[in-house]
Amino acid sequence: MLVSAVTLGCALLFGQVEMPEAEVPPVTTEAPPEAPPDAPVKALVEALVQPRAQAAPDTWAFQMAVPDADSPRQSPDERVLCLNLPSTPAVPSGQWRAQCDEPKKECQVAPAWELDSEGHETGNPLDRVSMCLDVMPAEMARAYRLVPAIAEAPPGWYRDERGRVLQYNFDLHRRVRVGGAWAPRWLRETEGRDDRVRVDFGVDLEWPGDPGQLHRMTLLDTELYLGDASSFEATLLRYDFRSERDEPLFRVTTFYGKPRRFDVFANLGFWLEVLHAEQVRREDVKADFLTLGSTHATLDLWHSRDLVSYVRVRAGPTVERDRTNDFLTLVPAAALEGDLTVDRDGFHHVLFGVEAQKVLLAERVEGRPLRPERLRLRAGYEVIALAINDQPVSLTLDGRGTWRDDLANAPAGWEWSAQAGLRFSLWAPARRDAPGAQGGKE
Amino acid sequence: MVALALALLLSTLPSPDVACEGSTDAGETFPTCFDPGTGWVLGTALHVQDEEAALLLRTGILLRVVRTSNSKGDSSWFDSHRLFMTEARGGTHEALTFTGYDGLLRRHVDEGSLLVSFGRPVRIPFPFDVAMSLRAAHLERRVWEGPGWTLETGRVGLLLDPVRTNTEWGWLAVGPAANHTLRHDRDGTQHEVSPFTSLLLDTGWETRDGRWALRATGLVGWAFDFDGGSHFRARGEVALEHVLLAVNDAPVSLRLAATGVRGDAGLARRDEAMLSAGLMVRPFGER
Repeated sequence: MLVSAVTLGCALLFGQVEMPEAEVPPVTTEAPPEAPPDAPVKALVEALVQPRAQAAPDTWAFQMAVPDADSPRQSPDERVLCLNLPSTPAVPSGQWRAQCDEPKKECQVAPAWELDSEGHETGNPLDRVSMCLDVMPAEMARAYRLVPAIAEAPPGWYRDERGRVLQYNFDLHRRVRVGGAWAPRWLRETEGRDDRVRVDFGVDLEWPGDPGQLHRMTLLDTELYLGDASSFEATLLRYDFRSERDEPLFRVTTFYGKPRRFDVFANLGFWLEVLHAEQVRREDVKADFLTLGSTHATLDLWHSRDLVSYVRVRAGPTVERDRTNDFLTLVPAAALEGDLTVDRDGFHHVLFGVEAQKVLLAERVEGRPLRPERLRLRAGYEVIALAINDQPVSLTLDGRGTWRDDLANAPAGWEWSAQAGLRFSLWAPARRDAPGAQGGKE
Repeated sequence: MVALALALLLSTLPSPDVACEGSTDAGETFPTCFDPGTGWVLGTALHVQDEEAALLLRTGILLRVVRTSNSKGDSSWFDSHRLFMTEARGGTHEALTFTGYDGLLRRHVDEGSLLVSFGRPVRIPFPFDVAMSLRAAHLERRVWEGPGWTLETGRVGLLLDPVRTNTEWGWLAVGPAANHTLRHDRDGTQHEVSPFTSLLLDTGWETRDGRWALRATGLVGWAFDFDGGSHFRARGEVALEHVLLAVNDAPVSLRLAATGVRGDAGLARRDEAMLSAGLMVRPFGER
């Protein structure tokens, strides 16, 4: 690039010998502070070209340079003008996109087409740019200083110097996910290990409501365990509504020293689950449970400003059908759980939860208590390892423990499972609060 | 001891220009002064009697009204009303005490005087405010004493206040009191009266911001059965309240109380001594 620019500069320099009266505008002799190493050469090229353009207004021989990795970036929030410049070896079409600063009389100019690895224009238009509807007249362009720039990218996306975009910010609460994991299980009673793999699937949706409200829904959340003691767990629909109250529930005033008021907010929400099926297998014992519906109230102990991350308590009743013994039960439950998106770009996610359940109104079943109990523990971590075609592939680590005595003729006790796997996510758009590339990837 | 406490409280009095409003960083304001005589009392305490501790629950409505006399231009009324005050005690001394109404109506005049109307009317300075103590429907039911109850149908005290404060923050009212009481047990119901043969004391002091309040009451004298016989009795109670914090502008107070009774506790007219320490919240108690 440097060699070609110097060569071109020398050629144009020789071409100026016959016009000694041409003035070099001061602006073109100064390299901008953020200019690349070969910027002086480009500036020289511009300086040498512009006088000729002034001398012959009908033929503008200006040669616009293509951007490099250090070039400034256009803003996604400002208007883009179409700009036709004289053809160059790198951009033969002469089609550019310009964002101009009127007071500074400066335009940031980016090629309208993607470039190849050699910096030459390809036939691929720029992806994810706003359409330029207005054309910047050439006469106007001549009055501005034209600075090579990288075209704008939407929030959560990054555009390289060739004009290609890639997503670097992912919302894993909006995705269609498919994954697999190695998921061995240990039963404390048998002291043996069940070698299993997990196949999981689900559709996660999330959308904001009124200010301070967030809706989250999961459809077809499914986990199949294959191998020793195959089983499954699936939920047709899970809905979660959370909100942030403007008014505090309690205002506590203290009087020692200067009177101070501390506001205590109670951010209540609602959690619903419809048709949750669970098949449990322990050695020769198999049991099926079908939750017809669960309605829980939630109280956020903490949540992030965008409500996406939280630590909360959740409690409420569940109507469950014991399909093995064929009767309905009422299962009150209480849980402490958290869902944390740790970083701004949505790469790191931490999940944890403790849930206690008590089975009431059950009929007497030989070999199990009249009112069985369950305690479920879970901690998980998911990190995006890479993205294929802007679809993230994440590594999942899970640890789970369950204590239960609701299986007839199976000893009450703990089962533990450690799970590690990969998950492929479709959709996964940028997070709603994703920053622009200017403050993001850079 | 009461005098000492009063002196201590007097020393805690803030300056008259006490600010009764705080503000948050966001500019929202909140009250920092409270009226110990106003609000809905909800409290619980640890109650110790005969070296046994038990839980005590307390509720009632307090109302304090300050008004200028309609008929006497230079006087003000400071009225404290306590409605439906209820105390329930658990433990081995399980009991319930309920008072339908208990009030102290105190009239302050700027220049107290007595008019002597014999011959030429003479106006003599009178260094007291007058007050009236009224109590009605005071029921005491002591489960641990067996069947029966004590009901004071009414009590009235005609009191003088030598302190003569012109605010509701302090008073010292003392004077004769009369009452009528029913005592019901297995043997039937007995009537008992005290025809102004008892001396009643009602005194209290509060800081202007209402965060400290001390109140002492006492009754000593003789009561007479309808069918003959008299009984000497004495009863006193001291209660100290301190506002620790406020929740939703309702003060949360620590309440320490001591009660001593001689010949007047329950149907058996026992001698008793009780201590209690607890917390209470008083919604609508801001000034």
